[in-house]
Amino acid sequence: MNKRVKPVYLEDKLEEIRADGHQEYRSKSLPTWCPGCGYFSMAEGLTFALKRLGIDYKDVVVVSGIGCASRFPFFVNTYGFHTLHGRVLPVATGVKIGNDDLTVVAVGGDGDAFAIGGGHIPHAARRNVNLTYLVFDNGIYGLTKGQTSPTSALGFKTSSTPYENGDVPLNPLMMLLSYGASWVGQAYAGHQHHLADMITQAMSHQGFSFLRILSPCVTFDKTNNTYSNLNMRVRDLPEDHDSSNVLAAMAEASRNDHPALGLYFKEDRPTLGQVMDATIQRSLSSHGDKGPGQTKAK
Amino acid sequence: MMMAKTGTDIQIAICGSAGDGTIASGDIMKRAAAAMGFNVIAFDVYPPEIRGFGKCISRIRISTKQTYSLKQESDVLISLNDGHAIPHVGEVRDFGAVIYDDSLGSQVAEGGHISAHISPAQIPYGFGVRQISELATNSARSRNIVVLGYAAGLFNLPSDGFHEIIRSKFATKAQIVIDSNIKAFDAGLQVGQAVFKLDDVEVGSDSKETNGAEAVMMTGNGAVARGFMEAGIESYFGYPITPATSIMERLAVDMPPTGGKFLQTEDEISAIAATIGAGFTGSRAATATSGPGLALMAEMVGLGVMAEVPVVIAVSQRGGPSTGLPTKTEQSDLNLAVFGGSGDAQRIVLAPTNVEGCYRCAGMAFDIAETYQTPVILLIDLYLSNRYETVIPAKENTFAPKPRKKVSVKKGEAFKRFEMTENFISPRAVPGEAGLMHTATGLEHNELGRPNDAVHMDMSIKRHEKLKSAVHFPGLNVSKRFGDKGPVDVGILGWGSTFGEILETMYQAQAEGISCSAMKVVMLSPLPLQSLQEFFADCREILVPELNYEGQFANLICGALEKPVTRLSRATGTPMEVQEILAEVRRLSGQDPAQIQIAGAEGAQT
Repeated sequence: MNKRVKPVYLEDKLEEIRADGHQEYRSKSLPTWCPGCGYFSMAEGLTFALKRLGIDYKDVVVVSGIGCASRFPFFVNTYGFHTLHGRVLPVATGVKIGNDDLTVVAVGGDGDAFAIGGGHIPHAARRNVNLTYLVFDNGIYGLTKGQTSPTSALGFKTSSTPYENGDVPLNPLMMLLSYGASWVGQAYAGHQHHLADMITQAMSHQGFSFLRILSPCVTFDKTNNTYSNLNMRVRDLPEDHDSSNVLAAMAEASRNDHPALGLYFKEDRPTLGQVMDATIQRSLSSHGDKGPGQTKAK
Repeated sequence: MMMAKTGTDIQIAICGSAGDGTIASGDIMKRAAAAMGFNVIAFDVYPPEIRGFGKCISRIRISTKQTYSLKQESDVLISLNDGHAIPHVGEVRDFGAVIYDDSLGSQVAEGGHISAHISPAQIPYGFGVRQISELATNSARSRNIVVLGYAAGLFNLPSDGFHEIIRSKFATKAQIVIDSNIKAFDAGLQVGQAVFKLDDVEVGSDSKETNGAEAVMMTGNGAVARGFMEAGIESYFGYPITPATSIMERLAVDMPPTGGKFLQTEDEISAIAATIGAGFTGSRAATATSGPGLALMAEMVGLGVMAEVPVVIAVSQRGGPSTGLPTKTEQSDLNLAVFGGSGDAQRIVLAPTNVEGCYRCAGMAFDIAETYQTPVILLIDLYLSNRYETVIPAKENTFAPKPRKKVSVKKGEAFKRFEMTENFISPRAVPGEAGLMHTATGLEHNELGRPNDAVHMDMSIKRHEKLKSAVHFPGLNVSKRFGDKGPVDVGILGWGSTFGEILETMYQAQAEGISCSAMKVVMLSPLPLQSLQEFFADCREILVPELNYEGQFANLICGALEKPVTRLSRATGTPMEVQEILAEVRRLSGQDPAQIQIAGAEGAQT
């Protein structure tokens, strides 16, 4: 006997999506990603989080570097700054310092973040700049058509490693935990609701929040980080995981073969903006050395 | 109180080894002189190492008239280290003084003592510097202050001013440090007052004739920082690099009390990146660096041009390429400042020629950047960064920010952030303004800011045409001609710190009867073509002295005007010498050399 499945009509689905309201955050530009790309989940997740947190579009700046993921600012109806390859964090830091009232979201891929931009991450993390950094990690360079990235697996064959990748991949979560990031989490593009929830949590955190989002590249990676492989590989963080314990977080993060999703670590400490305000207060009360340079003539 | 002696123009050189306190004693001397109302120009030369016996020289020109550069000859040389000072005895003029230590120390090799090198025409002033220092403070470390006191005594300078400067210089140290320095100064002063004096080297306080109450002594870097402060700088991001570091250090002190945000970043790339990020939000943002840092920033400057973000970048050049000569001056980053980066990325480049110019250009740079929505590079060099001049700051602050024009769009219409307007300058909105959301990008984009390759030609026109009117920016002298009006035999064209020497040369040449004039170009991009054309039309010969090997400014000018010039390009790490330029001016003037008094004219490089 034929089991009839109730058909899902696209129009009905779109209606449902529109009714939710988060689509307002999308701009009129259509995404340039390949059909099936994990980055669509990111776009959904971020717009969902903005809606849920009730942040006004005009107060949001999405800053990005260069790469497939970095095209994101064009697709949201907020302020955006699509900058240079690897420089998303220093530009985002400048935006936040320029106007502390803004909600700043930094977006980039794994190449943008850990290869060319790797030198900026420790400093944004240790300064605790109050922004959210979403890294879409698909372990490959998509925009330049499939070269190896710092998170590509050992033995991965790409157009730049035709005889297999021999470089050990970086472990981004371990890096961020040791850099002193005050919020570190991991999500997966295939688990959309969890992803949206993690982005919301990350954006609610006061300080530097780093969310790594595992994502397939459906065009240039048919063997490694595919949906089916990732579906099997990912797991949830243990229920008793203590997110205030950085060593426990590192122990979980070290298991790169079975990446766990969830909040690894969170701590509350002054943000860069608060530190700067404290500096301003101290400077007003100090009558100390005014430094070299100028002498008033009599 | 000494009688004022008008027409004073004296240059003191203090020479010692790193760690001797040479620069510190020079610093006290120039600050005291400035406080007495003299015009002061001073420049220190020091090695890149903090200690390690490298040579330090502090040269201070104290004058009652307006001067434009250091003199080639010093009137006084003070030696704190004979080994380093001996090569400089020759720079002391005839009847000039050489002050040195004649106390019997350890055995000195033949020719190792400075007294053996003083010419009969120079006046030796030897005394027991070390003994007096030890007697006064139980330490030989105060020798630099003892010689300062001696010089003050020799020239009959009032000691109160020095005491005050010593107190303020060591204000953060323990009281005993201040006391012993004052003791050392007084001990030197006593000896100096007692010795035989020559009329020639006597100066008196001459405050009446000079600038009056508001004169402030500052370095080029101090002037840049002050200009930034008066312009209401809100965010600064920087990375330490000689010789720009003191701009950053000054702002680190001065910005927080005004609510300014100051951050030392992890490198120059992040410094300019954060500056552009802050500029994007409408904050008055700046950074400062030197040539190697600007090389790292070049890509970001391109982003600033493309995304039309106003930022200010102060660049103090040093010898290059690569790490080059970190503590020596050079004007070799003109190409990088004007052209550096990928693509056609014209930006505004301002190159002030003196300390006051640093102050004015730094103060106006934000207004210019905001008007033209583009990065403005303030190009100076080590010689200007570190040299002291007395400056009279503006009575009223004209650099304060003006309110940005509010823009609005009709409901339902998208905001055209990069709209093609009549003057090619588009309406600008910053994050936080409702209804004006847009994305700025380094990709070629259309009027809405959306990526689009098809509009590349139109947008290139827009980005270049909008800068055209910058040469007429109100209140800014983008070029200025000095000396003879109308047709002349020789025109000296200059930029940056070298222009001080050029002006001194021109006045000397005029005094010799050579028909000449000089023009400074302050805006290097876009070039003030009209005034350059007029100048070229008036001058039979054009001489372009500059401190680099390739003649970068001459190349820039020749590329724009296609007219031949005579180059005087020199890369020695030291400022240009007046005699060197003068020799070339004499040669170009074509006057009978027999009729011109030639002083040390050698065949200059052409």
